[in-house]
Amino acid sequence: MTDLVGILVTTVILGSIYGLVAIGMTLIYGTLRILDMSQGSMVMIGSFVGWGILVSAHWNPVLAIVFAFAATFVLGMMTQLVSVQPLMGRRKAIDFEMVTFITTFAVAMILENVALEVFGPQQRNVTPVVSGGVNVYHGVNLPYQSIAMAAISILLMGGLGLFLGKTRWGMAIRAVAQDLDAARLMGVPVSKLYPVTMGLASSLAGVAGVFLGAQFFAYPQAGDLPLLEALIVVVFGGLGSLPGTVYAAYVIGLIQATTEVFLGTTWSLPILYGVILFVLIFRPQGLLGKPSEARL
Amino acid sequence: MSEPLLSVRRLSAGYGATTVVRELDLEVRAGESAVIIGPNGHGKTTLLRALNGLIRPSAGEVLLDGEEIAGRPSEQIARLGAVLVPQGDGLFPEMTVEDNLLMGAFLGQSWRDRRRSLAHVYDLFPGVKARADQQARTLSGGERRLSALGRALMRPSTILMIDEPSLGLAPVALDAVYGAIAELKSAKTTILLVEENFTHVGGIADSIHVLEMGSITRSGSYKELSEDEGVVAAYLGSIT
Ligand SMILES: Nc1ncnc2c1ncn2[C@@H]1O[C@H](COP(=O)(O)OP(=O)(O)OP(=O)(O)O)[C@@H](O)[C@H]1O
Ligand SMILES: [Mg+2]
Repeated sequence: MTDLVGILVTTVILGSIYGLVAIGMTLIYGTLRILDMSQGSMVMIGSFVGWGILVSAHWNPVLAIVFAFAATFVLGMMTQLVSVQPLMGRRKAIDFEMVTFITTFAVAMILENVALEVFGPQQRNVTPVVSGGVNVYHGVNLPYQSIAMAAISILLMGGLGLFLGKTRWGMAIRAVAQDLDAARLMGVPVSKLYPVTMGLASSLAGVAGVFLGAQFFAYPQAGDLPLLEALIVVVFGGLGSLPGTVYAAYVIGLIQATTEVFLGTTWSLPILYGVILFVLIFRPQGLLGKPSEARL
Repeated sequence: MSEPLLSVRRLSAGYGATTVVRELDLEVRAGESAVIIGPNGHGKTTLLRALNGLIRPSAGEVLLDGEEIAGRPSEQIARLGAVLVPQGDGLFPEMTVEDNLLMGAFLGQSWRDRRRSLAHVYDLFPGVKARADQQARTLSGGERRLSALGRALMRPSTILMIDEPSLGLAPVALDAVYGAIAELKSAKTTILLVEENFTHVGGIADSIHVLEMGSITRSGSYKELSEDEGVVAAYLGSIT
């Protein structure tokens, strides 16, 4: 029973964080058809914003989240304008997915090295957004930080779902993902929508960064592992499928949590990737992806 | 007579190196219903795509209500009140029928009026209302056509363009579509239709233009063209 509670708790925590970063990538892939390699940098910048506000300035944790959201929103928009927008017009004439894979990666490298120049290579501790914890079940301790992290992730994912499902601009983003020409015929200003979408996605990664920074550290390469994990979640869930991404995030969280409890940490990664390999061989379109084309 | 609402002069457009529409001239007056007929693959759809900014014309000019729109992006042309029901319907496949209709009202003022427009479209096409919560990709061809037409009515248009409204429709749906078009016409909406032949357009066409090899080769009233033997032989359709 203790094991079971422990697994569930870890699953929710891991899944929520994976989901938050991955869902941004899915949003971007669905609308722009690019794998945005700068999303890891947004996590890294979020964790430095967290460090700056919580450790350096001793400000309120809510401010850390708000600032991280705002900073990465602007940075994400700028990344789109610099590395993707100039290529939009030639989308059909070039290998758009591959070229933007590299151009967004280039932005990531620039951001990483600017961070190295400004903050240096050392790993900085980020104070948890909230401290303390609660004993949920015999011996299973749950830090408030983890509860806050999961709650905010779920809130943001839910909010994004509502935004995309019910609001005028959210629907416009889906429309662009499903039929670009038709969306333009409806009057959707696509050239403005693209940077905003990438800003929005980046801000989710930025918020995740505040929490991940506290879990691990703030340092220039802090986004590398989250980026790789998000990529895996995105492909595993079905490229471009939002529900698939959320689903995959929790499935991966569950596999990792279960193996950690029963077989120890050493086995968690090999088994996780074994499962991913197995699933993708039989379902290359991912868990909820459509064999044909990815759509939001 | 008044200035034409839509005036196309020596318009050329195509794909890459292939020119499909060649130095085409066309005028549509405000309140008029114009119909373009022509054989498969001669450029009817390409013309509508060029007029609506989905492809960039290579030469010529297009004036909509006095404004030059050739080469402008589609979303700007939409803002001037051009509405196109494209070939293949252009519905958003993963959205419900209702969300598709709502997207038709995306532009500012229309969005505020969306509930009223929705009620109007549902009134006009009860069949669409019955499918409101169904995903567009699961609709039948006829249901798709009606939904796409309904979506086009979700915002006011200065000119409404429809690519082959009769395509794939059974008689009942056909009556619904042409009934709606006739109603729009009597409300003085400017309409530009594309059809393969003039089987269905007798009741509504003020003018008919024959598009062959990318240019308008013949223009006139329904009466004039239906008495032209060459045109009749080629385009009157199966009812003769
Ligand atoms: N995306 C494209 N790329 C290249 N050529 C195209 C493309 N779309 C259409 N064409 C070509 O342009 C020509 C005109 O096509 P268009 O769709 O305008 O014809 P149409 O008159 O609408 O025919 P239909 O009655 O069959 O719909 C055809 O020869 C077609 O093969
Ligand atoms: Mg056509």
